[in-house]
Amino acid sequence: MKTTLDVTRRGFVVGGASAGFMLGMGLPLGDRLGAHAQTGFPDEINAWVVIQPDETVVIRIARSEMGQGTLTGLAQLVAEELECDWANVTTEYPTPATNLERGRVWQSMSTGGSRGIRESEQYVREGGAAARQMLIQAAADAWGVDASECTAAKGVISHEGSGQSTTYGQVAEAAAKLEVPSGIPLKDPKDWTIAGQPLKRLDTRDKLTGKQIYGADIKLPGMLNAAIRQCPIFEGKLASFDAAEVKNMPGVKHVVQVGDDAVAVVAERWWQAKTALDALPIEWDGGEHANLTSAEIAAFVEEGLDAEDAITGNTVGDAKAAIAAAASTVEAVYAYPFQHHATMEPMNATALWTEDRCEVWCPTQNGEAALAAAAEAAGLPPQQCEVYKYHLGGGFGRRGAVHDYVRQAVLIAQNVPGTPVKLLWTREEDMAHGAYHPITRAKMTAGLNEAGEITGLHVRIAGQSILAGLMPQRLQDGMDPVTFQCLAAEGDHALAYTFPNFLADHAMRNPPVRPGFWRGVNANQNAIYMECFIDEVAHAAGKDPLDFRMSMLGNHPKNAAVLKAVAERAGWGTPAPDGIFRGLAQCSAFGSHLAACAEISVTDGNLKIHRIVAATDSGHAVNPQQIEAQVEGSFVYGLSAMLYGECTVADGRIEQANFDTYPVMHIDEMPEVETIVMPSGGFWGGVGEPTIAVAAPAVLNALFAATGKRVRSFPLKHHDLSA
Amino acid sequence: MVSRRAALLGAGAAGGFALLPGTASATVELRDQVLAELTRVAPVDTGRVTLTIPGVAENGLSVYTIVEVESPMTEADHVRAVHILAANNPIARLFTASFTPASGIARVATNIRLGGSQEVTALAEMSDGSFWQDRKQVVVTIAACVDGG
Repeated sequence: MKTTLDVTRRGFVVGGASAGFMLGMGLPLGDRLGAHAQTGFPDEINAWVVIQPDETVVIRIARSEMGQGTLTGLAQLVAEELECDWANVTTEYPTPATNLERGRVWQSMSTGGSRGIRESEQYVREGGAAARQMLIQAAADAWGVDASECTAAKGVISHEGSGQSTTYGQVAEAAAKLEVPSGIPLKDPKDWTIAGQPLKRLDTRDKLTGKQIYGADIKLPGMLNAAIRQCPIFEGKLASFDAAEVKNMPGVKHVVQVGDDAVAVVAERWWQAKTALDALPIEWDGGEHANLTSAEIAAFVEEGLDAEDAITGNTVGDAKAAIAAAASTVEAVYAYPFQHHATMEPMNATALWTEDRCEVWCPTQNGEAALAAAAEAAGLPPQQCEVYKYHLGGGFGRRGAVHDYVRQAVLIAQNVPGTPVKLLWTREEDMAHGAYHPITRAKMTAGLNEAGEITGLHVRIAGQSILAGLMPQRLQDGMDPVTFQCLAAEGDHALAYTFPNFLADHAMRNPPVRPGFWRGVNANQNAIYMECFIDEVAHAAGKDPLDFRMSMLGNHPKNAAVLKAVAERAGWGTPAPDGIFRGLAQCSAFGSHLAACAEISVTDGNLKIHRIVAATDSGHAVNPQQIEAQVEGSFVYGLSAMLYGECTVADGRIEQANFDTYPVMHIDEMPEVETIVMPSGGFWGGVGEPTIAVAAPAVLNALFAATGKRVRSFPLKHHDLSA
Repeated sequence: MVSRRAALLGAGAAGGFALLPGTASATVELRDQVLAELTRVAPVDTGRVTLTIPGVAENGLSVYTIVEVESPMTEADHVRAVHILAANNPIARLFTASFTPASGIARVATNIRLGGSQEVTALAEMSDGSFWQDRKQVVVTIAACVDGG
């Protein structure tokens, strides 16, 4: 069965079942690309660039747009090399099945780890450069001149010698017939005119006008709607349900078991499905974790703080010996809870299944992973499946590594072959079945010499491993490298200090709560552990927190530079306004270097975060305005987590069910954020996640300056700041 | 005595570790070395063996895999063994199934674990001493902080 999407903007018909379904930007073009993969594609210059006769430049974007701006940033990189007119640029997603069919010409579709731009910048720029060369060559061929004598700018090709000129749209068809060249030199970033500029996002207008379609908005002709309930107890199963009780309720079509742990009601409308599901008698088999509590998990995790079975992640010298021989020591234990992604758009997917084909419409951070999940659930080879990606109403990692919602949608759709079914989770279902930010504790121990310098530092992490929970085959001889973000010996998450003796080790304790990658991942709590503790040590040594940090940054000039930048901008060392207190933090994460200085006040026990100055050195800045937006947005997320974010466990399940019990910060709580974008060149760091890590520790260090209180367990809402 | 585990941990600690990507330590060369050991350097033909494995796997933790071999499965002509080899897993030889004529058909279905995107080889060892193979590329998608996809 073929699917047709009627696309108004582009004025062509892509695919049939959904005729009349209008899509804007980011439309999926599976059938179109798939067909042309074999027959040739008249206006495709190469995989990355399509140029239409009306000069419209369509840039293909493999990564998913979830608010982070990758659609615009990646398009800027292609357009920079293409030398097209940015005003003519639009974008589209190639589909995952087409990517596989065409030998992964668009490479990875994975959108996470702040990797969208830094992982693909080289080949997307090469794609733009190759397309430009082909267009120039086509013009040169038509004129009978050497291509090297021709230039291109803003989509116009000129030959100075003859005074001739033409446009990309006019030569696109001829260019598309040429071989795709390789080895075209790329521009030096200092010569960028489109990339590096604070261009407006390509998707803003559609979002503001409501034209933007999200997965939860999808309506297909004849579509049924499904509501699902999965056993709320960790690793629990479905024991029984009594479909007869609800089968005559309005709109109800089917009551179906989904896998071994869930039941869904399929109805004409979603509210009918949800209402019937609420009325459906369901018995759960809670299994061995049916009585699990937060207290039991805490005890299990905390036992690891002094356990002997820790796995080493980074060691320099002999930290334990240095601490034992130290003139003085400082020790502190920190605790960080489970947290939820709480995407604004709950999990959802729409599936259409027949015996020989399965199609899925969904928001996903990784189209190919969604395709794989769909194919497995459908019992079909991936070649007989397709996934149409939609912009995400929030991803934050939840829609990256676990496509449980896609699998469920396909399993439900198998009960109604040939009829599309949209599965939409309730908020409560979403809260109960997250891939939670892992729970950890940290025991920090520092040894100091007589001069108050750190001679040895031991970071003992106790707690959950994301890789062990999600993909144990990625462990490195039992070690989860992701646990050591901001603590690693080298790489994207290298420790951003030099200590004469250092040990970071991990006593892995994995409770039966599914972990996941949560924006910033372990950088969030590891930066709190490190940066709050460094502040504690500075205080114990009687040293200024800035000077103390700088004394350990001799080998980390980029970290020193971002820290200096925020200190200067915030006026560190100068008197703050009455009642205002400052705190600092710095680290490296996702290949970037970050620092923040927070200004807060505490009145009658109420914390007010006034301002955070944050600096990001991501090497290159493809769109500085988007970096600012990412930093600001990440602070809403990170500060919400610090202030309120906590999932607790009782009776083997997550207790929080909605935003009343899992709040996020309100607009009046949001500080002014001053972002310093300071790309130092020579490397490509991430942007979407890293800076989140320095917001919370900067605020907490300012809180200590204000109150003398060291908050070491989170969220902050549990602490009385008035005493 | 230094255990393999301790040695690896020590090496990792001294040399640091690359946070990404993944754990895979086998290589195409190691796979070929294992293949040569299994075949005792006999030639390997392509055909008779059908490896059915998804071209893309969401995780790699459990990838459903079927190997079927064309064979009458008689005393005179049968499949002795089916091996599954990986080019990019910690261990190259994932699996061996032994057959006799009494097996009736030469077909095995199992779940294998893949540490990342790689080529998977199904190798069949026949009673006449010949070897046959089929190879498939598998994309293992990994999202978020780790990326192997």
